[in-house]
Amino acid sequence: MAQVFPKTEGAVEAAPSSPRGFSLSNRTREWIAGYLFVLPDALGLLIFVGGPMLLSLSLGFFSVSGFGEYSFVGLDNYRRMIGDPLFWRSLSVTILYIVLLVPALYVTGLGLALLVQRNTRFNGFVRTMLFVPQTVSLVVVSLVWQVLLVDKIGLLNQFTSWLHLGQYSWLGDPRFALYVVVFISVWFLMGFYMLIFLGGLQDIPKEYYEAARIDGASALQSFLQITLPLLRPTSFFVLLVSTVTAVCGSQTFDLIYVMTRGGPANTTSLAIFYIYQQAFLFNEYGYAAAMASVFVVLLMGLTVLMFMLTRGGRFTYD
Amino acid sequence: MINEENGSSETRSAVRSGPSRRSVLATGAAATALSGFPYISRGRAAQTLKFWQFYAPGGGVATQDKWFEDVVKGWNDTHDAKVELVYVPNNAYMDGTKLPTAFASGAGPDLFIISPGDFLRYYNGGVLLDLTPFMEEAARADFFPSVIANRMVNEKIYGLPYEVEPMAMYYSVEAFAEAGLTEKDVPKTWDELLTVAKKLTNEKRFGVLFETSPGYYQNFTWYPFLWEAGGDFQTADGKSAFNSPATVQALKFWQDAVNMGVAPRKPLGGGGWDAVPNIGSGYCAMQNVGIWAIAQLREGAPNFKYGIFRLPTPPGGKYLTIGGGWAFVANAKGSNPKAAGEFCAWALGSMKPDSVDRIVDWCTKAKSDMPPRKSALEAGKAAFDSGFLKTFTDEIYPGARAEPRMPPPVYKAISDAIQACQLNGQKPEDAAAAASEQIDAFLTNYKGAPIL
Repeated sequence: MAQVFPKTEGAVEAAPSSPRGFSLSNRTREWIAGYLFVLPDALGLLIFVGGPMLLSLSLGFFSVSGFGEYSFVGLDNYRRMIGDPLFWRSLSVTILYIVLLVPALYVTGLGLALLVQRNTRFNGFVRTMLFVPQTVSLVVVSLVWQVLLVDKIGLLNQFTSWLHLGQYSWLGDPRFALYVVVFISVWFLMGFYMLIFLGGLQDIPKEYYEAARIDGASALQSFLQITLPLLRPTSFFVLLVSTVTAVCGSQTFDLIYVMTRGGPANTTSLAIFYIYQQAFLFNEYGYAAAMASVFVVLLMGLTVLMFMLTRGGRFTYD
Repeated sequence: MINEENGSSETRSAVRSGPSRRSVLATGAAATALSGFPYISRGRAAQTLKFWQFYAPGGGVATQDKWFEDVVKGWNDTHDAKVELVYVPNNAYMDGTKLPTAFASGAGPDLFIISPGDFLRYYNGGVLLDLTPFMEEAARADFFPSVIANRMVNEKIYGLPYEVEPMAMYYSVEAFAEAGLTEKDVPKTWDELLTVAKKLTNEKRFGVLFETSPGYYQNFTWYPFLWEAGGDFQTADGKSAFNSPATVQALKFWQDAVNMGVAPRKPLGGGGWDAVPNIGSGYCAMQNVGIWAIAQLREGAPNFKYGIFRLPTPPGGKYLTIGGGWAFVANAKGSNPKAAGEFCAWALGSMKPDSVDRIVDWCTKAKSDMPPRKSALEAGKAAFDSGFLKTFTDEIYPGARAEPRMPPPVYKAISDAIQACQLNGQKPEDAAAAASEQIDAFLTNYKGAPIL
């Protein structure tokens, strides 16, 4: 009777000896293959993200004229930031923008996903329509909204006049401008977040809802007890991505650049726009880089906090 | 079936009728060597001077496109160092990243155009070539002193303007008639302007339009009101002069226009410089805009009837306007600064008739502008003495003061003051004081060329 030896790791890894006398274990081959697969992306990140970030961080310690002159100024750019009211203004405008935009995107994205989650032909059409803004250039979006919102003769003002609610300068009045930009940002982005929530909703087994219905649960109870808890990872992703989008998404810059130029009276001067102004209009590349570094640190801090509070989006506390 | 092992060379060549792998690699390597490597490309590019601007080739206005094409063709036909026009869309050129990033990476164009508002940024950056050595004395003296002053540092000329664009007020004849107003009611003072604007304002139309978008252009349009009230930016000893009653008066004038509801908070189209979508479409009855609006309205609203009057004055004030305009400049760090300097002087800064005629053509045919040179004003007398250009020649241009050049922090402090008062209800006294403080803080350590 043949003796049965326990199967050991070494035995599994043993590879037939190569005729050339050079062999790699299966585990080593898998290890190499894994890293080779990751390599192109890692290199891309290193060269196109890591490199510029490092360069930007370094630039923050220099005074850069924009015409080839660099002089080391240590922490001067950071000190200047502390005394720059426009930096604090842009920071507060950005925080308000995040506070308004992120919950609005969450609510509209989830709400729309719940409304169109059933696979019917009509819902398919509505989903497409809601996603259409994403396919249009932000410059075009800005120009169209500008026409709709223009003083006196814009469509919205004609509507408010018809309702005897008066006329307003939606983009020229500091009381409204930022809220209008938030509204247009939500309109532009909600289709994208709706799709993410749709993906999350489709991952929830139907049996849970059937069991709840048999137990007499109402629609609201099903939503609160089944949908929301099981959507936690998706919610985490949406909150994280929309926060990053609020700080440095393309809509953050493009809408402001085309529609308000940071005005009226700096009320829509978001951080990314102020950094742009300092770098490309005032040739203050060093100062702009220092501000960008501060915002990156703040954003990373916020991300780490969100990861810690939610256990990496798993929400498992036991 | 072909047996590769035993096939003859003819058979192999018959099978591989396409290019061989080796030949493909060799061709690719040769193509890369000729066109791909930046240093070789740069070497080739050095033969041609790149001229960045926002008119040609393929610009929006055919007459202006043609003028630039003709200038370059005229040069290329007679000179060894060739010039190539590179079109940069207007928005990307004025407030965009293209020009700054090109210079930041050491790849700025050999030739480009700048306005006085941007002069110090590029002069202090050390990239503007002194054009004086390329010009004869008579040509230097031919530029109006008030026009060339803001392109000069220490008696040297760093930019050659091809236009002067004074600001004025335009009014719609139809809107005036609707409101029972005639040419006699054209306002002469700030108070009259607001009164007339109120009469012209209705449910669908504003009485008057001033620029409201923050930026160099808004500052540019506001400066003459400051000057008319007797204000300025700097004292003789280089300190800020911004905190003055004149500043407060000028800030309050624009604020009143918005607060009274006679001026919009947002213009239509590209902004306050854009005449066709604003006064041309009936969005406003009077518009504060420059001489270029004549060409805009001629092209975009040929049936629109309008009149032009000079900027009204405050009580006890003196009429003044601002004369902006763009200029050719050469990159001192470009591939061939000597040829670039010669090009600028040949095109706009020579006493030869061609050079003078070029300016006349630009100001009377390609666009509607005032000439920066005495000889051009004389040579184009017939055109400058007819139609709306005559109004500018006789009434508006004589009061023109050169557009100030100032470093970005000074511009920004003034811009914030204008915005805060015009659109955010801040007290003009407070805004003037805050801006003046910021300007003084900057001027303390400023070491660049004089602010004018």
